[in-house]
Amino acid sequence: MDQYSILGRIGEGAHGIVFKAKHIETGETVALKKVALRKLEDGIPNQALREIKALQEIEDNQYVVKLKNVFPHGTGFVLVFEYMLSDLSEVIRNSQRPLTESQVKGYMMMLLKGVAFCHENSIMHRDLKPANLLISSTGHLKIADFGLARLFSNEGDRLYSHQVATRWYRAPELLYGARKYDEGVDLWAVGCIFGELLNNSPLFPGENDIEQLCCVLRVLGTPNQQTWPEITELPDYNKITFKENPPIPLEEIVPDTSAQAVDLLKKFLVYPSKQRISASQALLHPYFFTDPLPAHHSELPIPQRGGKRSHQRLQPPYEFSVDRPLHESLVDPGLIQGHAWGCF
Amino acid sequence: MLLLKHKVQVNFETKGLKMYHNSSQRKYWTFENEECLGKLRYQANQKFRGKILASGKVGVHESLLLDPLEEDALFKHYEKRLLDFCAVFKPAMPKSVVGTANMYFRRFYLNNSLMEYHPRTIMLTCAYLACKVDEFNVSSSQFVGNLQENPAAQEKALEQILEYELLLIQQLNFHLVVHNPYRPMEGFLIDLKTRYLTLENPEMLRKTADDFLNRATMTDVGLLFSPSQIALTAVLNSASRAGLNMESYLTECMGLKDDKETLSKMIDSMRRIKNLVKKYEPPKPEEVIACKQKLERIHAEFAINMNPKRKRGYEDDDHVTKQHRVAEEEWTDEDLESL
Repeated sequence: MDQYSILGRIGEGAHGIVFKAKHIETGETVALKKVALRKLEDGIPNQALREIKALQEIEDNQYVVKLKNVFPHGTGFVLVFEYMLSDLSEVIRNSQRPLTESQVKGYMMMLLKGVAFCHENSIMHRDLKPANLLISSTGHLKIADFGLARLFSNEGDRLYSHQVATRWYRAPELLYGARKYDEGVDLWAVGCIFGELLNNSPLFPGENDIEQLCCVLRVLGTPNQQTWPEITELPDYNKITFKENPPIPLEEIVPDTSAQAVDLLKKFLVYPSKQRISASQALLHPYFFTDPLPAHHSELPIPQRGGKRSHQRLQPPYEFSVDRPLHESLVDPGLIQGHAWGCF
Repeated sequence: MLLLKHKVQVNFETKGLKMYHNSSQRKYWTFENEECLGKLRYQANQKFRGKILASGKVGVHESLLLDPLEEDALFKHYEKRLLDFCAVFKPAMPKSVVGTANMYFRRFYLNNSLMEYHPRTIMLTCAYLACKVDEFNVSSSQFVGNLQENPAAQEKALEQILEYELLLIQQLNFHLVVHNPYRPMEGFLIDLKTRYLTLENPEMLRKTADDFLNRATMTDVGLLFSPSQIALTAVLNSASRAGLNMESYLTECMGLKDDKETLSKMIDSMRRIKNLVKKYEPPKPEEVIACKQKLERIHAEFAINMNPKRKRGYEDDDHVTKQHRVAEEEWTDEDLESL
C-alpha cells in the first residue's frame, strides 16, 4: 500500500469501495479496488480464480480497462486499474439532450469491440451495464468490472444486492433462473444499453425481478415454444405464467430512430440466447457504415466525476463578452457581501 | 513464416487467452539463464537465515539450517513426491494439470525457502490450486481422499491447503495461467504429419518425446524456455534417438534456411534444453533423510511463530509500512462490509 497515496473515493459499486489513488513512484493516477475474501470453506472460489486469470492474461485491449497490478492486502487483495474519469451512466444522465446518432454509434462501436475481444478470449462479462463502461479523459469507452461481482458472491446477501444493481440488463434466461448460460447474456445487456443510449432512458426498468420479466415480455411478447424452444427447460418456467400478449414493434419502443438502428437492436433482443447477434458480427452491421458515421472519441462528451454540478461550480458566475453592456458583467456587491466584507 | 523470422516461438495455440506470447509466463516467469534462478534461490535461503538469526532465538546455530544445496536436494525430493501424487491421482489427472502444479511449485520456491514454508503442504496446495485453475473439477474432500492417510489426517491436510492457498497465489503474483509443452507437442506432431512428409510415421516419435517432457518437468527448463521450444526439442531429440535427421524440418518447413541467425539461436536453445534434461539427477536417499531431519526440526522450532500474519492473508513487508497508517485507516474492512 505504501506505493500509493489515497486521493479519495471514486464510488461505491456493488463490489465495494473504489479509491482514487496516486502511484507515488510514477505519479500516475489509478483506481484501487479491494477484493476481500472471507468465510471460504472450500478455499478461493473457482469463479474468483477465473476472474484473476482473465484479468491477468488480457492486459492490453483498448476497450478493456487495464489491470495494472494486484497485491495482497489484509484478508484479500487489491486490484490496481488505470484511472478513468467517468462512466457511461453518467454520460447518459448528464447529457442535456439525447446523444446524437453519431455519438451513439461511437459508443456502440467501442462497446462491441470490447465485448468481441472478451468473447474471443472465452470471457463472459456477465455484468455489462452503463456504470461498468468507463469513459477515459480522451473519450474512450472501456469495459470494467470483469464479472468481479462473482468474487463477492460467496455471501448470500451480496449476491442479492448485486442482482438488484444489474436487473435492468439481465437476460430473460437469467430472469427465468437459468444456472447455465453463455455469452448471450452479455449480448442481451448490449442490446439493453443500446436501447438506453437511443432513448436516453432504460429500456426495461423493472422494479423487482417479476416486474423485470413483465417489462421484457410486454415488449417482446410472451415467449412460447416456437419463439423460445429452450424455455421449458428453465428452472423457473413453471413457477410463473403471464397473460398472453403479442410483441410490440421495437420501432414504437425506440421512436425517432433510424431503421438500421432498430434492425440491429432487434438482433440483440431475441429470446434464444444462441440467436442473438455476436459482437463481431454486429460490428459489420450496415448501421456502422452509413451516414452519420460513428463519432470519433474526441467528439464524445466527457463528464467529470461526480456529475455536472461540481463541474459547474468551477465556472465563473458570468461569461465575459466584449459585446455585452459592462454593467451586466459586474458582480452584484450584495451577492458577495457576507463573504468578502473584509475587502470593503 | 514471416513471423518466425522475428520470433523463435512457434505457437499452435490460437485463442487469445491461451496465447503464450502475451502471457504472464513469458513476461514474468521466463528467466535469462540458470544463474538468475540460482541467485534467486540463494537469496531466498539467505533471507530466511537472516530472519532466524535476527530473531535472536537462543541456541540457534547456523549449522542447524539448510544451505542452498540441501534445499535443492529436498526440493527435488518433494517435487518427485508431487509428481507421484499426481500420477496416481483418481480420477486421472490431465497432464496439463500436473504440469501447472509442478510449475507453481517451482515458482513458489524460487523466492521462498523450504525452511519457511513446508514443502509437503505447499506441494499439495499447488496441486489443489492447479486443479481449480485448469478446470479439473474435483471436490476438496475428493482431493484429500487421494492422500494415503486416515480421515483425521486428511481433514488436517485440507485445512492446511486452504490456509496456504491465498499465500500461494500471492507468491505466484496472481499469475495463474501456465503454458505447458504438451499442447505444442501435439501441434508439432500434427505439423509433421501434414507438412513434413519425409517422415513416414511421426507417431513413433511420441513415446520418447513424452518421456523427454516428463524428465524436463523436473528441471528448470520451464523457467527458461518457451513451451514450444521445449516441445520441439522433445520431438527432435526423439527423432535423433531413432536415428533420424530432421534438420530439414527446421530449414524447409520452418523457413529458417536463409535465416541463419534465428536457426543458430534455436539450435543453441535446444542444446541447452537437452543438456539441462540430461544433467538431471535424483537426490541421494541418504542426503534426503538427513535434510528432512533438519527441516522437521527447523519447522518444529521456529515455524509456528514465524508467520503470525499468514492467517490474515499475508501482507508483504514491501507493501505495508507503518508510515502509511493513515491511508490504511481510511480503508478498513468495515467500509467494505457496510455496503
